[in-house]
Amino acid sequence: MGYTPFSKDSGVSTLTLACRAIMAALDDAGLAPDDVDGLATHRVGDSAAPSLVGPALGVHDPSWHLDQFGGGSVSHAVVGQAALAVAAGVAETVVCYRAINARSEFRMGGTGRGLPVSPEVQYQAPYGFFAPPQQYAMYARAHMLRYGTTAEHFGRIAVTQRASAARNPRALMRTPITLDDYLASRWIAEPFRLLDCCLETDGACALVITSAERARDLRRPPVLVSAAAWGGGQSHLSGGPADPTTTAAAALAPRLYAQAGLGPADVDVAQLYDCFTYSVIVQLEDYGFCPKGEGGPYVASGATALDGPLPVNTHGGFLSEGYVHGVNHIAEAVSQLRGDAGDRQVRGAEVALSTAQPGYVLPATSALLLRKG
Amino acid sequence: MSDLMPGPLRGALTPDRDSAPWWERVRRREFAVQRCDTCRTPRFPARAFCPACRTERWHWEAVEPEGTVESWIVNRRAFGPGDGRPYVVVMVRLAGVPGCLLYGSWEAPSREPVGGERVRGVFVGPAGEGPTLVGWEPVVR
Ligand SMILES: [Zn+2]
Repeated sequence: MGYTPFSKDSGVSTLTLACRAIMAALDDAGLAPDDVDGLATHRVGDSAAPSLVGPALGVHDPSWHLDQFGGGSVSHAVVGQAALAVAAGVAETVVCYRAINARSEFRMGGTGRGLPVSPEVQYQAPYGFFAPPQQYAMYARAHMLRYGTTAEHFGRIAVTQRASAARNPRALMRTPITLDDYLASRWIAEPFRLLDCCLETDGACALVITSAERARDLRRPPVLVSAAAWGGGQSHLSGGPADPTTTAAAALAPRLYAQAGLGPADVDVAQLYDCFTYSVIVQLEDYGFCPKGEGGPYVASGATALDGPLPVNTHGGFLSEGYVHGVNHIAEAVSQLRGDAGDRQVRGAEVALSTAQPGYVLPATSALLLRKG
Repeated sequence: MSDLMPGPLRGALTPDRDSAPWWERVRRREFAVQRCDTCRTPRFPARAFCPACRTERWHWEAVEPEGTVESWIVNRRAFGPGDGRPYVVVMVRLAGVPGCLLYGSWEAPSREPVGGERVRGVFVGPAGEGPTLVGWEPVVR
């Protein structure tokens, strides 16, 4: 795996970011661009396609590629697809990447950019409702109303992840915060404050996917994809799921765990898609770490801290490390399983869960269970 | 909460080929949903296929715009058009179509919604123009 530095203004194109992260990932693996025969990314019209990145790195005829439309919900699906391509023998060495200028060019938070292309937008945008913080805040309040989840619960996620980011040299936000800092941060869309929202980041991250056999001969200890699963999600069409406090992860999780022959109790470390604080709470419930409705108290107990029974978002997550649309969660899971996570290493980590946006906003989700090789 | 901006914003209203007849009804102050001719299941928003029986035959049926508050936000960050004042967007569970959650403006600028309260749809539009959108007001003021 490889990264570019994270910043608020990379000063370069997403093509350049992609190439730099891919070169870093290949170097990390002890490989060269000539070894690459597959390229995959996800994007929402905001980044360099494989058809551009391949030629830019002299990879002119990849035997497999994937240019997946979609946001965070498909971030883990891309790696799942790459693993399938390798397992099917269509490609031997696939690079999955995400390059993004989410602060300096295409602001992911929804300010100053065009509306997404979707028939659902017409029922929302005329009411001033279209930005991701607004959409997630709506779901978060539904959870507060039904289960008594509180601002303090959201705040504990922000505080806990910042404490982990303080141990991560790559993280953009490393200064520890308190619950009072969280509560004092300005409103964005009630019930969300600024510190409920992820960073908007310029940066790129890349992962090398190959066969387990080949991975064992490469430079770094291998990490195995034990399970990859896809799922649906909330849409605004009647006839689908209509409980805004439960995500598609609840249906996906049993499929994911069954594939690997594992359960929530086997997970040593979890990187849960944290576009907003609330998404961690709902996923802790839907991936089976606590009963429905108890995600807030679970977080408040300290369970998700680095020294807790289930360290979550050990890199600081999107809230504090940076936002690379899901791929930096997978990279952090890999790092924990390789044992090279430095000051934030979870000792003895053998199984990691990494998850995509759980199926709000865009009705799709995906997740990976990774295991130490 | 008297500092709330009243009424809906004027973001892009972009009907598509499925929804144009619905928006046309809104302009005539009619709140309608589709009802499947085969299995009678109501659906909203507008689209051709019934997700219950997977057939295409349906008709429009006017229903009372009634529901309950499932959630809401108070927007305080300028993401788009508006005069900078906070505004409420409400998520309503529609009574006439089981499992349907929809969004709208909150037409009671003197207070925020209450979870679970009954609301009624009202046709709203910019000053000097006819109704173009559906907002929601509390049944009990
Ligand atoms: Zn039907």
